[in-house]
Amino acid sequence: MGSRALWEGEACCTCSSYLKPLEFRPVPLPSGEEGEYVLALKQELRGAMRQLPYFIRPAIPKKDVERYSDKYQTSGPIDSAIDWNPDWRRLPRELKIRVRKLQKERTTILLPKRPPKTTEDKEETIQKLETLEKKEAEVTSEEDEEKEEEEEKEEEEEEEYDEEEHEEETDYIMSYFDNGEDFGGDSDDNMDEAIY
Amino acid sequence: MYQVHKRGVVEYEAHCSRVLRMLRYPRYIYTTKALYGDTGELIIEELLLNGKMTMSAVVKKVADRLTETVEDGKTMDYAEVSNTFMQLADTRFVQRCPMVHTPENSDTGPPPPAPNLVINEKDMYLVPKLSLIGKGKRRRSSDEDAAGEPKAKRPKHPTDNKEPIPDDGIYWQANLDRFHQHFRDQAIVSAVANRMDQTSSEIVRAMLRMSEVTTSSDAPFTQPLSSNEIFRSLPVGYNISKQVLDQYLTLLADDPLEFVGKSGDSGGGMYVINFCKALASLATATLESVIQERFGSRCARIFRLVLQKKHLEQKQVEDFAMIPAKEAKDMLYKMLSENFISLQEIPKTPDHAPSRTFYLYTVNILSAARMLLHRCYKSVTNLIERRQFETKENKRLLEKSQRVEAIIASVQATGAEEAQLQEIEEMITAPERQQLETLKRNVNKLDASEIQVDETIFLLESYIESTMKRQ
Repeated sequence: MGSRALWEGEACCTCSSYLKPLEFRPVPLPSGEEGEYVLALKQELRGAMRQLPYFIRPAIPKKDVERYSDKYQTSGPIDSAIDWNPDWRRLPRELKIRVRKLQKERTTILLPKRPPKTTEDKEETIQKLETLEKKEAEVTSEEDEEKEEEEEKEEEEEEEYDEEEHEEETDYIMSYFDNGEDFGGDSDDNMDEAIY
Repeated sequence: MYQVHKRGVVEYEAHCSRVLRMLRYPRYIYTTKALYGDTGELIIEELLLNGKMTMSAVVKKVADRLTETVEDGKTMDYAEVSNTFMQLADTRFVQRCPMVHTPENSDTGPPPPAPNLVINEKDMYLVPKLSLIGKGKRRRSSDEDAAGEPKAKRPKHPTDNKEPIPDDGIYWQANLDRFHQHFRDQAIVSAVANRMDQTSSEIVRAMLRMSEVTTSSDAPFTQPLSSNEIFRSLPVGYNISKQVLDQYLTLLADDPLEFVGKSGDSGGGMYVINFCKALASLATATLESVIQERFGSRCARIFRLVLQKKHLEQKQVEDFAMIPAKEAKDMLYKMLSENFISLQEIPKTPDHAPSRTFYLYTVNILSAARMLLHRCYKSVTNLIERRQFETKENKRLLEKSQRVEAIIASVQATGAEEAQLQEIEEMITAPERQQLETLKRNVNKLDASEIQVDETIFLLESYIESTMKRQ
């Protein structure tokens, strides 16, 4: 018997040989306003669901050969830094993933809540010492606030610094690693310009 | 879905049946549209797509979406959306999600690895008192806001929104059981309309409506309703006299399908709707229909015969059905092989010798329904597989067609002449166009079939569930 999908009206002689021809034609599917609307709705939902942050695409399989540019081209989100912020109070704690930046010699880890811990970074400690030097007599709470502010700024600076260093690791600019996919896509509108 | 194990490990579980409900999403949304209009439709859509949301988030999102669709200059007020939301909560189509439970005594130890979610029965439909004031925002026109209006900071990411959410922590979800109750009621009303007439179905509909909130969704029958009450609840347009109503009720109660039962004589006669029996009848009708469409009407006749007489011998089947022996045998064996009917052995002698044993054909609705349900699941799998296959086969062509459409759209936006547009359209050749047409037709057919099969799945599952509860 096998299991047959519900086809309608397609000539069964073209089906592969293991399917027996149907003895009785299936009843036609519902049509009309309701049927059409529900169908269109279904297809729309399918498209919409793919755009949602909950739709996790499977990781792109490794290309044939390991390439030098793989180190410097990031495709897709780094370590689940996706655009989804659920209510963590309702979920088990172990699911809370920490967002990591590209680690080089740093051991900085960005925690979702920033505890006022000091990190072992040269830059930061130097700045902290400077701050402390300047503001020895100040109230503790103010100091803490400023420390946090500076931490924020520092982390921003770290980010920038990170990128620069990141860029300096290789001798090539980032556009060196483009693989030509985007080329030619921009020429659709400017048909008038002469192309040499 | 997770749970904290005794040893402190969090265990996760996949709810397959909930996953299968996704097939039904279009039906839920369409039903809400019919009952509560576009606003209701979008509320349910958002809740289904996001699983759970706070009321304020839903209202805002829906207002924005509705504003996109209305003409320029008009916006959708939050109040209107809130009203529809509250209606949905009142009629129980949306319900509150279980909340995080914080124990009374202060935490002495470390917090548990996973929160404990509980909800109180009476809180389930309680709408928080929010004063949501605002209007939907149109995405594109917010750049052209009038100078007088303070331009609200348009957050790019939700995390940028630092305003405190008034109903933080109170999440809502769509109440699928309520929808199922509605579908079941719809099926019953239309069955009565098909079997009897419009008036009877209206009477049944009135009875169901009266019982909506007094009867829980898995009750075997409604609360008894008196004929007087029913008379008062009939829709305004229906001018039938009390006697006529009573006649109809008697007819319904006497009908062998037993959808309606009489439970007493006070109040002009007490009547109930028997859900168990109704679902059983619907499931049986489904089985009959499948047999008729797959094996022909003669086979269906035999099936109904065996069902009616409960147990029949081969010879008796031939005689009662008035079908020649050879054909009858063939049909019986066909149905037997597909497990629509089964064979019961009744030995005459203790040694169970085949020549001295009665072999009786019988129909067991429950097991036949289970079997059919499995076939439905398999059908859906096949349909989805085929659809994905078709889409993959034509991936290149689909992508090309999408790109061409995008080009046309962008060229049109910057003002283009007919000749240019035509040139771009010709990028897709005629045979390619044909291929796309065929693909679209096939995919539509497969999708529509999925929806159709899901209707059968719903009926069968409802029947099996209600029967299992009784046992």
